[in-house]
This record gives sequence, C-alpha cells and structure tokens, in this order.
Amino acid sequence: MSRRTQTPPRVPTVNDLRVKLCYICREEENYDAPPEDPPRAWTHPCTCTLVAHESCLLRWIQTSQGDPARAPNALKCPQCGTKYELVSYRPRILRLLGLGNAVLQRIGRLLTLCGAAGVVAVFASGIYIVLTAYGAWAVRQFLGEEMFNLLLTDNPSNWPWTTFINLPSIPLSLIAGRFQTAALIPTLVPILLVWPPAPPIRYRLTRSTSADTDLRFPPAPARDALWTWPPTPAVFGFVIVPLVRVVYRRVRAKVQTWVLGAQPPSARLGRPAGAGAGAGGAAGGAGANDGWDGWPIVIRIRAHVVGEEGGQPPPPPPPQPQQQVVQVQQGVQAPGLVHVHNGEGEGEGEQPQEGPQPPAAVQGDEQLPDQDQALAAAEQQISISASSLGRRVGGALLIPWISNRMGALLLSLSKHSDTLRRFLAVRPAGTGAGAGSGTVGWPYGVAPGEWEGLGPVRQVRKALGMVWAASWRGTRTWAEADPVWWRNAIGLGLFVVAKDCVELLHLYLALRELESRHVRSRDFAGVDIRELDLVPGFPGPRKPSTTSVGVGAAQVENHTHNTHGGQGQGRARSLPRGM
Amino acid sequence: MASISARRLSKELTEIKNEGCPVGINLVKADDFSTWLFTIEVMGESLYQGEKYTLQFRFDSSYPISSPAVQFVVGDGHTSPVHPHVYSNGHICASILGNEWSPVLSVVAVCVTLQSMLASCKKKERPPDNDRYVRNAPDNPKKTRFHYDDDTV
Repeated sequence: MSRRTQTPPRVPTVNDLRVKLCYICREEENYDAPPEDPPRAWTHPCTCTLVAHESCLLRWIQTSQGDPARAPNALKCPQCGTKYELVSYRPRILRLLGLGNAVLQRIGRLLTLCGAAGVVAVFASGIYIVLTAYGAWAVRQFLGEEMFNLLLTDNPSNWPWTTFINLPSIPLSLIAGRFQTAALIPTLVPILLVWPPAPPIRYRLTRSTSADTDLRFPPAPARDALWTWPPTPAVFGFVIVPLVRVVYRRVRAKVQTWVLGAQPPSARLGRPAGAGAGAGGAAGGAGANDGWDGWPIVIRIRAHVVGEEGGQPPPPPPPQPQQQVVQVQQGVQAPGLVHVHNGEGEGEGEQPQEGPQPPAAVQGDEQLPDQDQALAAAEQQISISASSLGRRVGGALLIPWISNRMGALLLSLSKHSDTLRRFLAVRPAGTGAGAGSGTVGWPYGVAPGEWEGLGPVRQVRKALGMVWAASWRGTRTWAEADPVWWRNAIGLGLFVVAKDCVELLHLYLALRELESRHVRSRDFAGVDIRELDLVPGFPGPRKPSTTSVGVGAAQVENHTHNTHGGQGQGRARSLPRGM
Repeated sequence: MASISARRLSKELTEIKNEGCPVGINLVKADDFSTWLFTIEVMGESLYQGEKYTLQFRFDSSYPISSPAVQFVVGDGHTSPVHPHVYSNGHICASILGNEWSPVLSVVAVCVTLQSMLASCKKKERPPDNDRYVRNAPDNPKKTRFHYDDDTV
C-alpha cells in the first residue's frame, strides 16, 4: 500500500474517500466530519470499492477462520475475491510453535487410532489367550501329563513359536468339526499331527548348547521294526482314523437301517421331507451322508434313468431286491455327483439299472416311506437334529476331557486284562521316557557332529529318511513314552460308539412309541342313547321311525369308518409319496 | 452504545424504509433487532406464480459477522415453497446462509437471492432427503451443516 502511494501519479487511498462506508458494520465516516473518538482505522484490503474498519474486518477474519466451513473464504473479498494480505508479527518461534502444534495434532490423531486399534487388539488377544489355554488343556487331557511335560511343559516361555498357532487352533477345529459332520475323531488329528515332529522341549531344557536349537527332522527310533505298536500318531491320524471312520459310518448306517427300517433323516443331511428331489442337497451334505437311504418310491418313477453306481452295494444282510433298490437310488439321486455323494472316495463301478423293478421292490415300497415319516417324527421328538448351539459347542469342547476320562477308564480296566494292556501298550510304571528320571535321550537320528560330516546329497537322503521314519515309526520320544494318547483315542472312539448306540436306542424307542400309538375308544356312557343311530338289533329305546332312512345311511357310513380305522395305516402306507 | 448488530440492523431498516424493498418483497415485521418477517413472491413467469411465502430472519448479537438464521415460515396458514433446496419445515439449503455468508450481504440481498432461487426453479419437488431431515432437524437451521452441492443457488 505504501509503495503505491509513493508512485508519481498519485493513486487515491482509503483516506482520500469523501465518505467511507464500512461494508461490515455499515457505519459511515465523512472526510470533513470529526473522526470518532477514539478514531478507528480504515482499510481497503482488496481491488474493488469495498472498504471497512480494520477492526471490523479483523473480527470477521478471525471469526471466519475459527469455522472450518468458512475458513477458506475468510481471507477473501466477498465481492472481488481478492485475497487479503495479513501483516503481523510472526516470529520464527511462533511459526515453530504452530508447526509443533500441527505435528502434535497429527500425533494425537494417530494416537486415537492406535487407541482404538489397541482396544480391539486387547479384546482379540484375550480371546486368543483363552483359546491357547484351552488348547494346552486339551493337549494335556489327550496326550497325558507325561507327554505334555515332554512336549510343552507348564511354562509357556519354553514353547516353540508353532505352539502359539497350534494350540489356539485346537478349540476352533473341534468346534468347526462339530458343524461339518457328526464325526468326532478327525478333529483330534491336529493334536496328533502337530507334535510328533517337534523336538521335545524337555530335551532342549536339559541341555543348553547352541547345537540343541538346531531344528532337524527327527529320526528313527532305535528299533528297526517295520510296524510298531501302538501305531505312530501320523499313521493313526492319516490312515487308521479315516479308515475306521469310513467303516464305522457304513456299519452305523446298516445298523440304523436294520433297527429302524431306514436311516434317520438327520443322517441324510439336506434331504427335504418331500420326494426324492433332494438329490442335490444330499450330495451337498456328502460328508456325513453315505447315501444309503430307503426311498425306493423314487426308483419306480425314474427307474429308466441309467444309474451310475457309486458305492459298494450294502453287503449281505438286506435282501436282494432291496439291494438293487438302493443301488438305483444312489445313481438316480446324484447323477454325475455320485463320487461326491459317496464322500469317502471308493471305487466307482458302472452298473446300469434299467427296466421294471422286481415286484419285491414294490413291496418294500409300501412300507418304507411311511416308516421314514415316522422316523422323522421320532427324531424331531427327541430333537437330535435340532440340538442347540450351546450343546454342540460345549460337546465339542468337552472332547479332550471325555477322551481323557475314557482313557483312564481303559487304563484301570487294563489292570485286569493282559490282552487289553498289550493292546493299549501300557508301559509298566517307571520305564517311560520321562518317568521321573528327567533324562531325555538325544531325539535325533544323527549324533551331534555327525551331520556336519555328511555330504549334501547324503544329508538330503538322511533328512528324507528321517521324515519317513518319523511319520511311519515315530520319534523316540513318542515311542518311549507311555502312549496315553493311544488309549485316549481308543476311548474316545468307544465313547462315540456308545453315544451313537444310546442315540439309536432313544430313536428306536421313540419310533416304537409313535408306532404303537392308539387313541383309546370309550363307550357312550353319559350320552343320551336316543340321539345315537344304533344298529337295529341294539336293545333299548331308539329314535322315531321317521328318520329310519337316514339312520340306515348313517349306519353304513359309520360302519365304513370303523373298518377304515383298522386298516387306516395300511391304506395310508400304500399311498405312494411324491406322486 | 448499542451493539454493532443493532446499529447495522437499524441502518438496514432505515434503508428499507427510505428506499423500499425490491419488487415482490415486503417487510412485514421488524419490531426489534432479533426477528424480522418478510413476504416474498416471484414476479413474472415462474413455477411459483401467484404464491406468496413468508421469510423469517433471526439475528444474533454478532450479526453481520455471523449470518442470520433464515427460513420460510410454516404453519398458521403459511407453507414453504416446494423446491429442491427448501425442506417442508421451511429450512433452506443455501450456501450464502452458511459457509458463503459475508457481511457484505444484507437482509434485502438475502431476500433477493432467495427470490431468484425460486424463480430459476425448473421442477417443484422437495429435497430427496426431506423426510429424514425434517424428522431430526434442529429448530435453528444454522445448526444444520448443509452440504451444498448445487451452484445454481
């Protein structure tokens, strides 16, 4: 401003205006009038004609800058848009302080974010700790105290880092397993597979040289036997458990069919109550569904469809015709999906079924659908299929404890039976690897120092051999410890069988109850006998003869009802469903 | 010494009384320096031909540094115009009443702006979020933080 006033052709300034009108407060000041007391400075901050009291304008700017929405316009002339220039005392220290403040502001915001994240993290880690603690408890229950002390010990600071992934995953996999299939045992596989290859902590604790931290794959035990008893955890988890599972499911399905006349609907996951249209659903729930269900009614309709036989036909017990029915049924249900449907991946033989069904199939047809319906009703009554979430989760989480108890039971039983003791491979007290002595053998197949002497090729061969040995024959640690896990697993299997038996019994009794139901018929005591249409031969007073025709008709009707009552079930059964 | 707002409002009032309001705008009530009422109608061809609305101005003590609270009067026989920027409770979504307010504007200038806002309207309709806004709207429209998305206002 001052520069301009100095330029030769004099340019007027705000002080040269005859009337100054503040655009903010609308006060005027005449050039010849005496100035206010105290005088107020005027300013012309922009390139248009607006002028204002400096104090008014500063107040406006200050107010506007305080409002984030208006701040962008605070230093602009509302008319010409020229930017106001502020001249002020801004020493470097003020600028530094402002900058510092801005930085602090940003840090503060960051801290807010971190705080929120921290809350989430605390919450999550709480859950994590609970899961890990449960996992440790489960391992202790399932593998037994001795193995637990060998593998993990009570002090979490000894645990290898993998433990902190494996342990929390145990409860999760237990619960997840509960929601996928009805099978319990496979969920224990993680416990069995995780630790065998890991070097026992106890060993590392007893030595402290750097060589011990060298993680090498574990080695063959001293023995060279091809087959060890009990089987190693890896063999058990990968081979025995799946095998037993398949066989057990088949046996269970057969027993169920034998006892109940059909498989309970809950065993056929996803099958709608209607006709056999649920092929897709059944195939979808294949995990627990072995596809043995008696729905021959569908066959009669679709028998001409070429069935792609998947599973083996159920062995002897069911009569021949029934067998064929089942085969076709499977093929019809999920053409193209059969291998999924049969879940366990057995061989698929082509066995086309065409033409009319043998009469026997039709005969079975007359009973099964109804049986099925009754089964569904019975199942609903005891609500097997509709068990609560809490019951499922709780049941899943109790598995380690159950197997521990069952294992203990087996152990106490084995005191009376030599065979059982040998089967469970119970160690005589005091000879286990970690039994009291605290000396744990070098768990690797190569002696310390021997490894370095081998060439690279031999090192690889040695390593592969060790992996093989570890999975097939197990490590020395596992071989020498009392196989608590083995009897616990057997115990759990027995528990599952027992539980299924109880369920089956319950279901059977509920079904029997439903089938044996009758509505008790009463006599007409208390009813005015003249209001009844009675057979002509019935002694006593009767209705006026004017209605005799009607009486006859009613009698006939009544009679039909009576006979029908007796045959009712048979009639209903013979009605084919889904047609 | 009267407050700055009272001094400025008395000057604006004098101006209105001396020079009159623009066509279509009439001062109804200006008994004090806190609430003024105007009637406003759109002259010439427009969707609002023949309709008359009442505008209410509320001033606080820091006027004109702070903007007046302006809204259409609703109730007692008054309604708000159906307009994409006018809510059925009379609140107006106009940037000059919010972040683009400037002391250089005056009561009459605001009236004229709103008049032209109505005049330029092409379709009579309520703002899309009318119901939601009206349900939760504060009594004073200045407490609403409008999102101004239309420059034609």
